[in-house]
Amino acid sequence: MADIKVKLETADLAEIENRILELCQQLPHGITDQVIQNELPHLEPQHRAVAINRLLSMGQLDLLRSGTGLLYRLKDAQSSGKMKGSDNQEKLVYQIIEDAGNKVASRVDFTLVMLVSEISCWLGSSVLSAGIWSRDIRYKSNLPLTEINKILKNLESKKLIKAVKSVAASKKKVYMLYNLQPDRSVTGGAWYSDQDFESEFVEVLNQQCFKFLQTKADAARDNKQSPMIQRNSSFASSHEVWKFICELGISKVELSMDDIETILNTLIYDGKVEMTIIAAKEGTVGSVDGQMKLYRAVNPIIHPTGIMRTPCGLCPVFDDCYEGGEISPSNCAYMSEWLEF
Amino acid sequence: MTQAEIKLCSLLLQEHFGEIVDKVGAHILQTGSQPLRLISNDTGTPLDQVKKALCVLIQHNLVSYQLSKRGFVEYEAHHDRVLRILRYPHYIYTAKTLYGDTGELIVEELLLNGKMTMSTAVKKVADRLTETMEADGKAMDYGEVSSTFVRLVDTHFIYRCPAPLEPPEGAAAPAPVAPLLLTSEKDMYTVPKLSMIGKGKRRRSSDDDDDDDASEQQTKRQKKEADSKETLPDDGIYWQVNTERFHQHFRDQAVISAIANKMDQISSEIVRTMLRMSEVTTSSNAAHTQPLSSNEIFRSLPTGYNISKQVLDQYLSLLADDPLEFVGRSGDSGGGMFVINLHKALATLASATLESVVQERFGSRCARIFRLILRKRHLEQKQVEDFAMVPAKEAKDMLYKLLSENLVTLQEIPKTPDHAPSRTFYLYAVNILSSSRLLLQRCYKTVANLIERRLFETKENKRLLEKSQRIEAIIASMQATGAEEAQLQEIEEMITAPERQQLEALKRNVNRIDASENQVDETIFILESYISTSTKP
Ligand code: SF4
Repeated sequence: MADIKVKLETADLAEIENRILELCQQLPHGITDQVIQNELPHLEPQHRAVAINRLLSMGQLDLLRSGTGLLYRLKDAQSSGKMKGSDNQEKLVYQIIEDAGNKVASRVDFTLVMLVSEISCWLGSSVLSAGIWSRDIRYKSNLPLTEINKILKNLESKKLIKAVKSVAASKKKVYMLYNLQPDRSVTGGAWYSDQDFESEFVEVLNQQCFKFLQTKADAARDNKQSPMIQRNSSFASSHEVWKFICELGISKVELSMDDIETILNTLIYDGKVEMTIIAAKEGTVGSVDGQMKLYRAVNPIIHPTGIMRTPCGLCPVFDDCYEGGEISPSNCAYMSEWLEF
Repeated sequence: MTQAEIKLCSLLLQEHFGEIVDKVGAHILQTGSQPLRLISNDTGTPLDQVKKALCVLIQHNLVSYQLSKRGFVEYEAHHDRVLRILRYPHYIYTAKTLYGDTGELIVEELLLNGKMTMSTAVKKVADRLTETMEADGKAMDYGEVSSTFVRLVDTHFIYRCPAPLEPPEGAAAPAPVAPLLLTSEKDMYTVPKLSMIGKGKRRRSSDDDDDDDASEQQTKRQKKEADSKETLPDDGIYWQVNTERFHQHFRDQAVISAIANKMDQISSEIVRTMLRMSEVTTSSNAAHTQPLSSNEIFRSLPTGYNISKQVLDQYLSLLADDPLEFVGRSGDSGGGMFVINLHKALATLASATLESVVQERFGSRCARIFRLILRKRHLEQKQVEDFAMVPAKEAKDMLYKLLSENLVTLQEIPKTPDHAPSRTFYLYAVNILSSSRLLLQRCYKTVANLIERRLFETKENKRLLEKSQRIEAIIASMQATGAEEAQLQEIEEMITAPERQQLEALKRNVNRIDASENQVDETIFILESYISTSTKP
């Protein structure tokens, strides 16, 4: 093992880099870490990292996120072909949009990226992008707006890029490479359909989650066990709630546990639910990083407060009301109605 | 002091003490300390009337006086004490629940009279109780009333008024311009030794002949004079209601009911026990009670709650672990030491009150946003949308509504010195203290509105009310002279059916408004208590 630990010679490094570039040429759609490992089985991971980092910084390689992990690709291997017949301005804009697409990976330290690659497996098969806003393109390119609009139309018609409406603002369009998929910041995730926030869907889920927790709390109260057991059995983990909602089948889209926790959070802000985090053994259902979130329904500590049981508490013209004025307690219709009720 | 407070004070003074006292009282409230002559001048009221009004106000502890630097006496009104008039029914009701009818009447008499000596109070109450008893000659014993009085003093619901210093023996010093009143801590809750023997007297019924009546009156007067001549042993020792002590009790009740609402009956009973144990050991404005060990609590639990020590410990640790944080753990000795976080509890109750206001006025989604900001302290609009899961447009509407009602605040944090809106953070936050203050003002105005409406309702029906009173009086006197049933009926029918209906409606409305005034006062109480705990150093 000693020889491997020897400091990497510059010559060796160049050799490795060449091999990687060669591989990329053979596989123009990009290669994964796994491919490099198979081809160069004796290569130390650290050395691999050094080489890749160098290639990335020299601009020879592109780093992409994909469903199976990270993808290295020869820079411009694809696009240069497509960009034939484009002028420099068009190339510049395309470059800006492309950079925006993988801005996550290209600037992060490589070792960190390796970690990300393991986590990012859940990202789905397509490459996701947050896209770039046309105003930002203008900033970066320093081209006049009319020019940019023309170029963007051009690129769109060549199916090199596409425009996607963002949920962040209804009039805001973001641009991304044609083969990329808009990520959650653009589509809004499960709560949006066609850029519209599904408010009713959220409320239905909010109510159902609460009903589930409430039933559980009621059952706990009725079982007449010791107070400790009563309290503990009123808790449900986010996983349990998630399962209940999935089995209910009220959602057309698939909801993740995170989605359900987002809903449960709204219940916390409604003042109807409390959450505690407990330590859980690794591998317990519903635990994340050795922690489990537990939720339970709770009762409010006060009834509607006194002033809200009078008409003045709710009155919209409160500040304009005074004895002797146009609106006054004596002639107040809200009062009359309230007294008659 | 705000306009709303002055308005409410003035209405209260007018209702309880009449126009002149109101004029004088409201004037001093508005202007601060004033000497007698100036008050008379400014209000255009004759001097002797002002004097009388001031006497009434001083008697009821609403005005105090003090020697100014320039050598004359100045009078100052205390708006907080005036506002407590609103709470009188609550004090009386509490005395009834704690000490029965006797306690109720003692507190009522003291509140009606401002200050009283124990002997007069006891006599008056015994008389009143005797009157309500069956006419079989039974009467209320003074001794019994005294002992309730003593219990009220022992539990600090009543205390001794400050008394003027005894002039030093022999010295013929001229009486000071303004007597200095002093309370000695030691005497504040000591009852003078009084042996009150006797029973309450029934007022003579009115069926005596006129002649008889007159002579009766005369003998009464003579007796009265004789009475007042023999000085009572407790002459000069006056008592008044200790509102602070009642407030402490109200606060405890609020804490207990919050626990009962959120947790359960037994938990609230445990907290009640802890609060009762702390009554004497903890000062009324302490942030938390003295630590109590689980063993002590166990011993003090009321019988009838058959729970074992083990179960009590479970309850205690659930209480201490609850996010409400009303109960805190302060140590492990004696099976665990526990305190009740009084200030924390008041703050929580105040914020629950604000939440309830938002909920009722603007709906539950708005309340969600309000609680969210409360929890996260500072949020941008986008974050509010995301966390609360409310569509952007709705969230914006709600935030502006909350903002315009001063329930949330908006802070601008510019990223660049030019304060360009596009490069500025806009952070929403909730300030419970200032929102509570504003809500409190709204409460004052609401009570004033309710009183105005009540006065209006009675004024509208004044003629009818007078008529019905007249008729009732006639019927009463006819009954006394043994009139026939048919005659009575005839008189009764002088009030027509629609009139009767109208009277019923009026009665219902007045009761309803009365009840609401008390309910609003509950909100006022929570807010005032919270504000005073969080502003005192
Ligand atoms: S009296 Fe009527 S108009 Fe005036 S504040 Fe109350 S509800 Fe509003």
